[in-house]
Amino acid sequence: MVIKMNFEYSKKDENFRKEVKDWLDETLPKSLSEKVKKYQRLTKEDYEIFMNNLTAKGWLAWHWPKKHGGTGWNAIEKHIFEEEIIKASAPRIVPFGVNMLGPVLIEFGTEEQKNYYLPRILSNEDWWAQGYSEPGAGSDLASLKTTAVDKGDHYLVNGQKTWTTLGHHADKIFCLVKTDLNAKPQLGISFLLIDMDTPGVEVKPIITLDGEHEVNEVWFTNVKVPKKNIVGKENEGWTYAKYLLTFERTGIAGVPYSKSALNHLKMISKRSLKNGKPLIEDPIFSSEIAELEIDLLAMEIFNLRTVSAAAEGKAPGMESSLLKIKGTLVRQKTTELLRKALGPQALPYLPEQFDEGWNEMPVGPSYAGPIAKQYFNMRKISIYGGSNEIQKNIVAKASFGL
Amino acid sequence: MDFTLSEERKMLQETVGKFFNSNYKNIDKRSENVNLPEGYSKEFWKESSDLGVISALVSPKFGGLGGSGEDISIIFELVGKSLCVEPFLSSAVLSSTVLSSISNPRNDLITDIIEGNLLISFAHCEMNNRYEDHYIETNAYLKNDEWNINGTKSFVMNGDDASKIIVSARINGDVNDRDGIGLFLVDNDQTLKRPYNTIDGYRSTELTFKDLKGELLAKDENALKCIIKANSAGALALSAEALGIMQICFDLTLDYLKTRKQFGKSIGAFQSIQHRMVDMMLEIEQVKSAVMLASSTFETDDLTRDKNISAAKNLVGRVGKLIAEETIQLHGGIAMTWEYSAAHYAKRLIMIDHLMGDSDYHRDRFKLLSNF
Repeated sequence: MVIKMNFEYSKKDENFRKEVKDWLDETLPKSLSEKVKKYQRLTKEDYEIFMNNLTAKGWLAWHWPKKHGGTGWNAIEKHIFEEEIIKASAPRIVPFGVNMLGPVLIEFGTEEQKNYYLPRILSNEDWWAQGYSEPGAGSDLASLKTTAVDKGDHYLVNGQKTWTTLGHHADKIFCLVKTDLNAKPQLGISFLLIDMDTPGVEVKPIITLDGEHEVNEVWFTNVKVPKKNIVGKENEGWTYAKYLLTFERTGIAGVPYSKSALNHLKMISKRSLKNGKPLIEDPIFSSEIAELEIDLLAMEIFNLRTVSAAAEGKAPGMESSLLKIKGTLVRQKTTELLRKALGPQALPYLPEQFDEGWNEMPVGPSYAGPIAKQYFNMRKISIYGGSNEIQKNIVAKASFGL
Repeated sequence: MDFTLSEERKMLQETVGKFFNSNYKNIDKRSENVNLPEGYSKEFWKESSDLGVISALVSPKFGGLGGSGEDISIIFELVGKSLCVEPFLSSAVLSSTVLSSISNPRNDLITDIIEGNLLISFAHCEMNNRYEDHYIETNAYLKNDEWNINGTKSFVMNGDDASKIIVSARINGDVNDRDGIGLFLVDNDQTLKRPYNTIDGYRSTELTFKDLKGELLAKDENALKCIIKANSAGALALSAEALGIMQICFDLTLDYLKTRKQFGKSIGAFQSIQHRMVDMMLEIEQVKSAVMLASSTFETDDLTRDKNISAAKNLVGRVGKLIAEETIQLHGGIAMTWEYSAAHYAKRLIMIDHLMGDSDYHRDRFKLLSNF
């Protein structure tokens, strides 16, 4: 029985943190972290520089077991690693191959699939995209319409996927497709690996409200996919999809992002003036910051409780959904207070300032440029990965016995 | 009591509404106007003048045909519904309010504005004055009987295309003093300009003056009074604009909730979603009421005018955030796209809280004016 709680990391964990931090200091190019800090557009190469460094260090597959070339880290180590890479302003690890597909193949793939795909993921040779959402199937994935019809030696795929993040860089895409048209939702779905080079695959950009191109539509017109590209059993793809979504949930609260945004908010509130005095001296505004910090403080402990339980082998249940909801709300609140802190300085929008090497004078203070854009962009986090409404449905259904 | 519009105003609403709709057909048409060299359509501006839309924003005392709080609200609610980017606010409301409120009103210039021949921008904001009426760093000094102006004005709406600029500048005293302020009229061809678009698609400019000659329009108490009145008129116009946007956001969202199906039924069939729509509806009624009150007291004493306008603009800031965020969230990913109009309405609605005083500024001003 636990008599006294311990909120501190062990000596071993602290050493691990230092190792990660030192490695990042040494290997992450300054020009790259500067780009991330300034919210500049990242190229495919920018992501690859960081991911190739991770590959060389043996840290790319941070969710995989050792025997497949992963780190074998426990939940606390993963948490520390993620915290440090965000603190260092590294580009994010593009998750589709290494964090999503990898674990599914390890669990459900054939030996042939594992031998072929896993090394290519580990070496960043393949850039994967995720083909889950469709125009009529987002948070309710099971109602998807893309079909794969059995044609003997291949499937014939027709349909459309959407919100495909960085799909314009991808070589391959893993898709949920309907293989039994008469089955009920959630049944009759299969998990299919598709080469983006196959005739009939077309990627169309989606420009988001901030004028940026990160997500895409992917269209399939009579695309022939070899039968061996199915993962697991036909019509059982839903099981694998759910398994994959549990991997998407790690670090879902985004605590390190909110922490750095909170520091940024305090800095800006000291520099912004209200009636000639620093905004942070305004009692109402500083109270709002204080309450945000309190929410974040509590959420960090909530998150660590979950991480710590996971390290002891307890799979997180409702906690993932609760943390996703609170995490997105806290993160969105930081972007809201940031734009409020700027006042009219949030208005100017110079799209060219997000290009690499932009060196002109900004309008207003240099930190102002990305703030409003970031506020609007962050509206997505309570929508994607299972909207907050869906998370609430999950929690209510599973917990209340109603 | 009578909360209905007069027959004339109903006609104004109908005519202007039809005219805006026929020009601003969809979000692509608006993007075209945003991308024009001046950041708006000069053709549409001229047609608006011919139809009397600008005139409707100015009192008959100064050559217009309207100019009451109700007139401003009717026009700007429609500006909001179409997301018009033309200089209705900068030239027709802010500048004409200053020009009509100075001791010797400049009917000549106001007439030119109404006829669509002259664009005048009001340059009061600065990088450090946030939303304040009196915090002014730009200064003016008298030399050989001529006023010279030095400084930089920020966020000057349509400040690149305007031929004349009304500038607030400090004649004496400290940056934060309420006395010692002057209002000047300058030609815009001698200013240093840095134009840019705002994140919601409106043209704004940084204007720098170096020993620029200006004509004194007002000073001291009269100057501050004019600035406050212009900013209040602007806040009223923006509140009405926000009301128009909120109504569009609500309609778009409700339509989508009826169309989009999840788990075998339309999303709108879920009670938790219906309750959120009711919250939105309720808050929009609150905003509508506050805008009506502020409109109706626009021509009364300054205190009542400003108190009611602050109430409206504070509410608009708070409710605007609710409506913009709920519109995006209830739509889901589709409202995150450039292609779909809801995203543009949501952006404007949020950024209205960054113009002419945000919800915090107007809450504080409401407290001050109410002697808390």
